[in-house]
Amino acid sequence: MSDWTLCIDFGTAFSKAVVVPTGAWSRFDPARVRPLRLGAHDGRGNAFLLDSAVFVDADRILFGRSAIARADALGSKRAALKSFKTLLSVSDLDRALNTNAPLSIDPHRIFQMRDLIVLYLAYLLAAIEKARSLDSAITGRIARRYAAPAWRGGDSAGLHGTVVKLFGEAEAMRARMGDALLSEAGLDINTVTRELPGALERAQPLDMGLIYEATAAAAYTSIGLDDNASHLLVVDMGAGTTDIAALARIGTRMFELPEARSTLKQAGDFIDRVIANRALDAAKWAKTTEQKADLWAHLMRDMRETKETLFAEGQVSVRYRDKMFMMSARDVEKDSDFKAFAKELKAAYEHCVAVVRDDAAARGRTSVEAVAVGGGASAPFIQALIASKNTRGSRPHVTPRPATPKWAHAPEFRGNLAPVFPQLAIAIGGALAPDGMLAAKGTFSPVADVRSGSQAVRD
Amino acid sequence: MPAKKKATKRPTPKKATRASSKRSAAPKSAAPSLADALAEAAWEEADRALAEALVECDALSAATTKKQRDNAMTLLTQALSRAARKRGLSRISELDASEKYDPQRHELAGPVAKMPRNVRIAARGVVRGMDVLAKSRAAPVVRKARKKSG
Repeated sequence: MSDWTLCIDFGTAFSKAVVVPTGAWSRFDPARVRPLRLGAHDGRGNAFLLDSAVFVDADRILFGRSAIARADALGSKRAALKSFKTLLSVSDLDRALNTNAPLSIDPHRIFQMRDLIVLYLAYLLAAIEKARSLDSAITGRIARRYAAPAWRGGDSAGLHGTVVKLFGEAEAMRARMGDALLSEAGLDINTVTRELPGALERAQPLDMGLIYEATAAAAYTSIGLDDNASHLLVVDMGAGTTDIAALARIGTRMFELPEARSTLKQAGDFIDRVIANRALDAAKWAKTTEQKADLWAHLMRDMRETKETLFAEGQVSVRYRDKMFMMSARDVEKDSDFKAFAKELKAAYEHCVAVVRDDAAARGRTSVEAVAVGGGASAPFIQALIASKNTRGSRPHVTPRPATPKWAHAPEFRGNLAPVFPQLAIAIGGALAPDGMLAAKGTFSPVADVRSGSQAVRD
Repeated sequence: MPAKKKATKRPTPKKATRASSKRSAAPKSAAPSLADALAEAAWEEADRALAEALVECDALSAATTKKQRDNAMTLLTQALSRAARKRGLSRISELDASEKYDPQRHELAGPVAKMPRNVRIAARGVVRGMDVLAKSRAAPVVRKARKKSG
């Protein structure tokens, strides 16, 4: 048996990791949920979030916030590799991984996409190890798992095999590079090109379980509740995709209804572009290409805050130099691209509702719940979607659940978990979920063995 | 090595006034440091909004036209609201709404001879989770005297 369970949420924009005591599902105590401070080594920004970014510089490879800062400093000529989680959704993953990185990302033309992802994962594993060492409560053996969207349904086993192989290669690279991965200056390219082939060659797949993100959402939503429903709809709007999934619980077993699953390519990044385009349309004074490009860059730089306010208050005011303009949620909803997305989203959700109702009715169940997760969970149109009345008046009715569960307001956290909960939610749910909810099982790995690079021991 | 951030002492959040959870059998020795780290993360998110609010304070002071004042006030309110959300604060009550008087949630604007049954909200209060950080300012609702029939 392991003592703790670690779940990694390898996010499009940020990675997160949470550790809980093994068996937390049946002996739930909010105080023992331990989010890891993955960004603590950096000292900038939210310590619980690790930016998912790699930047290939002239002679160094930078990670996380350093990568983003360097790419921003160099302007539009160069780009950091970001949002690479979406790469995992392609149908021919091995081929995509073996593709050379674009010139804008790797001007040296020496790295394949696989290399850069392995290097980022090595950085992530180093950050996890560092963060774990900062929390004296976490001692003993740790079972590892990661959360992923159920993008490829029938091919999920293939995806898992590739991902644990990537993590294995990353662990081998981490063992070679150590804390140098966490340095603000990153790694020397010559060192990387010398060490990486050897690490890849000897790597073994890392022993990890897989939990679907929707299942993780179901876990943190329903844990500790006596009155939770047998069926749960999950609308997960991240940065790269919007995923809709349905789960059914029979006894202690939870399983997905694959025919209900939908993935839309429009999500947070798409909403960002809609907002920026609407702002550009409204800014009649921005006439030249240069003015428009400058306004676009300004809007995108502050988009996270702009979007947060727009979602929370229904409108947002933006100051740009000596000008100020206001935008409302209705302005965004008038956008033709947004309208097309909203229509597609509604259709996908209604399809999911119909599948869930049929399954619930067939099993004689009467309650279905819906929850929104991910960065877009608080978006008014997402909340309206899960709170919408049943379109065909049939039973069972769908009841919306809050994005942040009541237990996140437990006194032990002194009000400090709830504000950051939505960002950590999937990692928390993934760690709390019992083994029966996993899409693929891993086993425990003694921390000391992981540190020394030896193989994990099977339970 | 990454540049170390200057340690900033944050005000320790007030402890919840509710009775501690029944699920307190597990050791809590490390919990305070986690709560502090979570608070620090929330502050990181709130800092920028507070900084923007301070800038808009100056813009408000320097405003010479109504439009400038309105713009600065809008952005000041927006920045403060964003900072509050990042710290998990939320408003209670609705402006001008009539509510049953609750001394835990309402602060009366002036002295009263006897406790009112209902109050009208003049300024909304602020809570974090179950804790009331600032009570709503309210005025007693005076019931109209019944006209004597006949």
